[in-house]
Amino acid sequence: MPLPGVLLKGEERMQSRLSTVSAATLLAVLVAGTPAAAQKQSGTLKYYHRDNPPTTSIHEEATVSTVNPFMAVFNNLVLFDQGKPVNSLETIVPDLAESWTWSADRKRLTFKLRQGIKWHDGKSFTSKDVGCTFDLLLGKAKEGLRLNPRQVWYHNVMNVRLDGDFEVTFELKEPQPSFLALLASGYTPIYPCHVSPREMRSRPIGTGPFKFVEFRRNEVIRLARNENYWKQGRPYLDAIEVRIIPSRSTRILAFVSGEFDMTYDTDVPIPLIKDVESQAPKAICQLRPTGVYVNLLVNQEAAPFNDARLRHAAALAIDRKSFDDILGQGKLGLSGAMQPLPEGAWGMPEEMLRSLPGYGADVEKNAADARAIMQGLGYGPDKLLKLKVSTRDIAIYRDPAVILIDQLKKIYIDAELDVVDTTIWHRKVTRGDYAIGLNLTGLAVDDPDVNFVENYTCSSERNYNKYCSPEVERLIALQSREEDHEKRKAIVWQIERKLAEDVARPVIHFQRAATCWYPWVKGLVLHQNSIYNGARFEDVWLDR
Amino acid sequence: MATYLIRRLLLMVLTLFGISVLIFVLLRIVPGNIADILFDAAGMVSAAEKHKLEAELGLDKPIVVQYVDWIGGLARGDFGYTYVSERPALEEILPRIPVTAKLAALAVMFSVLLGVPLGVVSAVRQNTALDYVLRVASLSGLSLPSFWLGLLILMAFVQYAGWIPIYTEKPARLWDELALLSIPAAAAGLRSSALVMRLTRSSMLEVLRQDYVRTARAKGASPAAVNYDHALRNAMLPIITIIGIEAAFLVGGLIVTETVFNIPGVARFLVEAIRWRDYPVVQNLVMFIAIIVVSVNFLVDMAYAVLDPRIRYEE
Amino acid sequence: MAVAHEGGAFDLARNRAAGLSSSLAHFLRRYPLGAAGAAIVLAIVLMALLADWITIFDPTATDAHASLARPGGAHPLGADFMGRDMWSRIAFGARISLAVGVGATSLGCIIGVSIGLLSGYFGGWLDLVAQRFMDMLQALPLLVLALVMSAALGPSLENVILAISIPLVPTVARVIRSNTLMLREMPFVEAARAVGMNEISIALRHVLPNTLAPLIVLATAQLGSAILVEAALSFLGLGIPEPYPSWGRMLSESAAEYVRTAPWLVIYPGLAISLAVFGTNLLGDALRDIFDPRLRL
Repeated sequence: MPLPGVLLKGEERMQSRLSTVSAATLLAVLVAGTPAAAQKQSGTLKYYHRDNPPTTSIHEEATVSTVNPFMAVFNNLVLFDQGKPVNSLETIVPDLAESWTWSADRKRLTFKLRQGIKWHDGKSFTSKDVGCTFDLLLGKAKEGLRLNPRQVWYHNVMNVRLDGDFEVTFELKEPQPSFLALLASGYTPIYPCHVSPREMRSRPIGTGPFKFVEFRRNEVIRLARNENYWKQGRPYLDAIEVRIIPSRSTRILAFVSGEFDMTYDTDVPIPLIKDVESQAPKAICQLRPTGVYVNLLVNQEAAPFNDARLRHAAALAIDRKSFDDILGQGKLGLSGAMQPLPEGAWGMPEEMLRSLPGYGADVEKNAADARAIMQGLGYGPDKLLKLKVSTRDIAIYRDPAVILIDQLKKIYIDAELDVVDTTIWHRKVTRGDYAIGLNLTGLAVDDPDVNFVENYTCSSERNYNKYCSPEVERLIALQSREEDHEKRKAIVWQIERKLAEDVARPVIHFQRAATCWYPWVKGLVLHQNSIYNGARFEDVWLDR
Repeated sequence: MATYLIRRLLLMVLTLFGISVLIFVLLRIVPGNIADILFDAAGMVSAAEKHKLEAELGLDKPIVVQYVDWIGGLARGDFGYTYVSERPALEEILPRIPVTAKLAALAVMFSVLLGVPLGVVSAVRQNTALDYVLRVASLSGLSLPSFWLGLLILMAFVQYAGWIPIYTEKPARLWDELALLSIPAAAAGLRSSALVMRLTRSSMLEVLRQDYVRTARAKGASPAAVNYDHALRNAMLPIITIIGIEAAFLVGGLIVTETVFNIPGVARFLVEAIRWRDYPVVQNLVMFIAIIVVSVNFLVDMAYAVLDPRIRYEE
Repeated sequence: MAVAHEGGAFDLARNRAAGLSSSLAHFLRRYPLGAAGAAIVLAIVLMALLADWITIFDPTATDAHASLARPGGAHPLGADFMGRDMWSRIAFGARISLAVGVGATSLGCIIGVSIGLLSGYFGGWLDLVAQRFMDMLQALPLLVLALVMSAALGPSLENVILAISIPLVPTVARVIRSNTLMLREMPFVEAARAVGMNEISIALRHVLPNTLAPLIVLATAQLGSAILVEAALSFLGLGIPEPYPSWGRMLSESAAEYVRTAPWLVIYPGLAISLAVFGTNLLGDALRDIFDPRLRL
């Protein structure tokens, strides 16, 4: 939230909007009479983490376990406004970049960078650091990233041109309005040139509001205030302390007994919210989408699901309401591959969803239709199709799998649960050694350029079941270039329909869970359509 | 005596060598290695990239070469680098040892302080109602899963005392730390105390039957003197064995107790390292545990040999 | 040749057992704790065998409306968060726990007896090598070894049985070996040799039966350990996989989360495990008292 009196420069459109906002804020402040600087400059925020980040390097990970604690160490070129609950292209604010302009053909994006910013070790930030970061991401660096999970995000980048110390231009192959959204994600911090990727995996250096202090595996992550942070007056907190407690029962007990100021983001599952609220009556809990959706990896290259009719039958057998009732107490709703309304910007209206194969409200009819298909294929009550549903040996994977197996029974499929250790799961998926896999997919940004490109384009590493449709590929590229939001949505919905018809990777539902905190934690705004972009913590303060 | 000592030492070394091979092979049979885990965490599946990482970490060398590298390193004092945090393995293992050692010591103390007196009482009052009650109680103690007990204790504390006895930060004073650790130590030590009680009881019974106790009684020594003086002193020998057996028995309890009570010790770290396929850490830690157990057994055998000459010639 | 006291401990025990079986009341009076243990074990075995008849629900059937149902009514012991009936899961879980316990113990005993018998009877370098191997296995604590083995083999019912059985082998081998060493010197072995029996036959037909008494005692003690280790492995996430309703798995992390909303999820499986182990321990103690008072623990 901009402080009154500090006007942040921006693109023409941005500037006028911001100055309106600033003026309005000033007015509101004068009228309300409350000084905006009631924030206290002190205190250590304590919360817990549920497992160990594999490394401290955000660029090398694809798990919120790494982004959540370490996003505060860095800055991006641009960022989703930490104070606005819904991420969208309209809420992108300047970070290391003061302003940006698109070229006329919309293929070049030029950023003007802030000056006078220092890395945590004292060196100066320049455009070269942006260049180095993208050399890493584009795979051009000499000492590269050990793992580069988001390389596919940048398939459209031809070149990154540095003009002087404080100007960077991205040259794209095709126009891509959502490109800014990729840069605004918590997954896209700017790394320093002068620190090797190896160092960044254990001792990250950034320009952000908090400095990395230590990470003791299985114990604690500590961050301390960056006294020389370029945003005056921020951060408010002295330090952030994140205790790692792998045992879920223990950590919720710990929050309830006052050991921590807040829970880990979305750590409280729906069935436990009432319990937490009753045992810790002072706590505030907010239920929201986690940006993670449960989906089925249908192996189209091996029996039995290489047969499209069988896939169709399976799609009809999925009773999403039942999943919702058991796992979400009815609060989850229907969705396609994009995050659903109301929080998701690309969600389909309910009538449209209901018209997709398998989403019809009449579950019995769907099951009957599916049975008819199965009978046509030769299966029946005396001839069951035996197969295995594979998934990981973790509760959030296992539980939906158990429910799925129950549902497949209705259509003459005798499925057995094949629960495997994480490493074995990974190998199975790589080799295509499964029939159906139950999978969880996280979305870094609520944007089709992230979701579709990562999960449904033919050449993406994250397209685990190797679904490949030239038509869908064409449509994905088409929507990526489209400037008009409504036209783009229409194309996105076309893609959703095609994915549902092909039974590419059926979506069961988007998960929801709660984050809880005590009332003395102020300035916390949780993003409604992402858990990956809001952990900068520079506006959070403790009122005690 | 000297030959016995040397022979035992050699056997100990041989055993340790065997264990090193065993754990090394077992770990390599485990499907998946650190590259799989890292790739999975990053959501990547490219086989070519994975091979590159495996080569970087030396995981594609022949097994024998990897083994020789490891053992050679150990001999030089180089305990290898953890794959996960890319730091020397010792840096991860050593800081976690003190808290586990304190927990283990407290648990052993608890089990001895509870188990030995109860075992003596039970033996001396054999076949009375008290004996039965104690025997049933000890059996119950042995039957409880220690993590269940730990969980119930945590629940009880939060419910009735309003605070949770988990280890979040190392308390400044040693005394505070020991006080905090005493609760999980009791949970871990309860099973051991039951075992100690039973073993103490049986060895006391053995001793009480011995001729020289009868002789002492015949000579006119009071029953009390006979019990606590002659009997106990002679029963101490097996009790030392008991403590030795307990060392191995306890580690299992430590693993789950550390998990439930969130203690950042070496036992919980072992489970974590196995999950991450962090070979250097697992190998070194298991060798460490094995060395401790084998050494404790060795010392116990030495104590026996010194105190009971008959044993020396049995080998 | 049926002289009452020839042939060692087994014959003694056989006579005693014959005497006991004809007066159950005598047994109950002399070994009340053992009888209690036997009753508990019997109850659990019956529960496992009759599970289909004494339960209403399928232990793996989910039911959204029964999620976290309190004990009472249709769900006498409540239901878990997926609506699965706890009583069914405990009854069917008895099958799993017994299968794992008995399976692992049997396997461990078979392997241990083979090693111990051969090692003790034939001696020599076979003995030396086997002993060192046993030392190695024994130097690693039970849970650690089971953990590594379970991780090595992957989560499945068979693999868990294997993983738990291996650490049990050294103890069995050692006891059998020392017993064999003692029996080897006995006169009836000499007699058998004189008659012309070959060594293997002597080992199998004369020595082995006489080691059964301590073996039975040991096995019942190991059974308790096996059940507990399975529970610990499942708690740590490395034990019996879904959908088998194992008691240990019911106590795992996902149940523990609801420990304050639904304590019955944690209390009943824990009680079941404790009771089963308690019963086998009581029974084991009594058996030991019957067969060989010298082994008194």
